[in-house]
Amino acid sequence: MAFRGFGGFATSGLIAAAILWSFANTDVELSRLMSAGPRIADFLGRMFPPDPTVMAEIKKGSAETLRIAILGSLGAVILSVPFGILASETMVSPAVFRSIRTLLAFIRAIPLILVAMLMVGAVGLGPLPGIIAVAFHATGMLAKFYAEAIDGVSRAPIAALESAGAGPLVRLRYAIWPQMAPVVARDTIFRFELNLRESLILGIVGAGGIGFYIQTYVRSFQYDKAASVTIAVVVMVIAIEAINVALRRRFA
Amino acid sequence: MSTAIQIDDLSFAHTGADVPALERVSLKIPTGESVALLGPSGAGKTTLLALLDGRLFGWRGQVSILGAPLDPDHPPMRSRRPDTGFVFQEFALVERSTVLRNVLNGRLGRMSPLRALMGSPTKHDLEIARTALADCGISDLADRRVDSLSGGQRQRVAIARCLAQEPRLILADEPVSNLDPARAGEILALLTGAAQARGATALFASHQPDLARRFAQRIIGIRGGRIAFDVPTSELNEDATAELYREVEPIPGIGLRAVS
Repeated sequence: MAFRGFGGFATSGLIAAAILWSFANTDVELSRLMSAGPRIADFLGRMFPPDPTVMAEIKKGSAETLRIAILGSLGAVILSVPFGILASETMVSPAVFRSIRTLLAFIRAIPLILVAMLMVGAVGLGPLPGIIAVAFHATGMLAKFYAEAIDGVSRAPIAALESAGAGPLVRLRYAIWPQMAPVVARDTIFRFELNLRESLILGIVGAGGIGFYIQTYVRSFQYDKAASVTIAVVVMVIAIEAINVALRRRFA
Repeated sequence: MSTAIQIDDLSFAHTGADVPALERVSLKIPTGESVALLGPSGAGKTTLLALLDGRLFGWRGQVSILGAPLDPDHPPMRSRRPDTGFVFQEFALVERSTVLRNVLNGRLGRMSPLRALMGSPTKHDLEIARTALADCGISDLADRRVDSLSGGQRQRVAIARCLAQEPRLILADEPVSNLDPARAGEILALLTGAAQARGATALFASHQPDLARRFAQRIIGIRGGRIAFDVPTSELNEDATAELYREVEPIPGIGLRAVS
């Protein structure tokens, strides 16, 4: 659809201004980009062939990343159950769900890597700060999803259980939960996939996992080893994606 | 004979509505009677039934259900809710749960809150649920998921859930309007028969006079939120029924009219 009227003109102007401002204030030297070609080719050359001797490090690193993603997701699920209920429009008063939703929005706004750096400072190096960071960061999104799942179910069976004398938690268990379960399963799998992707880089700030090796090999110019790690990461992400697609079908 | 429902001078308006949904309604239904609430759509049948079920607040007048006064501002005590069973037009079942689970849901109000939450029905609860399934002729469907059932089967599940509450009063809001005529007769026969077998009172809303005549001992006509007539079924005359369904003359410039 074409932009129309003054509003459309103002929008186009704003976008153009943003692009021009970025160019004008960033040192974009096109000459550097031109001369980079041979150097990129040099990098790629040094990455090839990938060094297979780092298999042990790859196994150790990916297993740790996977564990961080699994335990971080578990933590997020545990936190998202109460926060999801408290963020639901249909379970609690407006004062409660509005403040919880605001809190979740703040949590979502803090990047994972920042949380991880703070946690490394708080609990030291290793996978523990990574797990805590993933659990904290993912709750911002997952609790919101759970709240939306609670609010999205059909109301009639809930009224029927209320009429039969079931209290709010019992209604949640027997009228709401069976309806929302497939949505929760889908959302949780989706968030786990994101957690895994995002925790690949946690090692860079010392919060555990395969990111540590990427960082080490690139910084020490061992590009053939970095290439092996990159291939391992790609394989892992694709494998998890395939497993998730299969799981999603199972919960449909 | 004791009284199941006693209503004196009841009025109610939905929030934001100009016209009251119920206006100065008074009636008395003795225990064990099967009564039909007859009237066109929008007459106030659903409102009256939801109010008697303790789900509407802010009304005026006096209402007593099974000898206990209803509070116009608060829902009834949890322990009293199972005494009144409700059958919904759109079944209101949990689609992804099994038939047995849905019927057991009718027991939730009779269990202690902890037992209800833990989902561990006693032998007694299971026995009552199985009996309700058998009475509704759906014992063989117990382990099926509700989303695999037909409309008639679903309403049987909903009635079984209601019976599992061991209600002394059964309210039903247009329980057969989503079903074909043959199914409709079967379901109303089941509903009123089960109520009578248990000595329970039944009050069901219908917009079909012939069904009301076949299954009720008494028919209350309702129109525009007011009681138009209240007669034993044998005394129901055609003129009164026709008057109940007479179309309201369209008021010029408002464009609203009752549809029969």
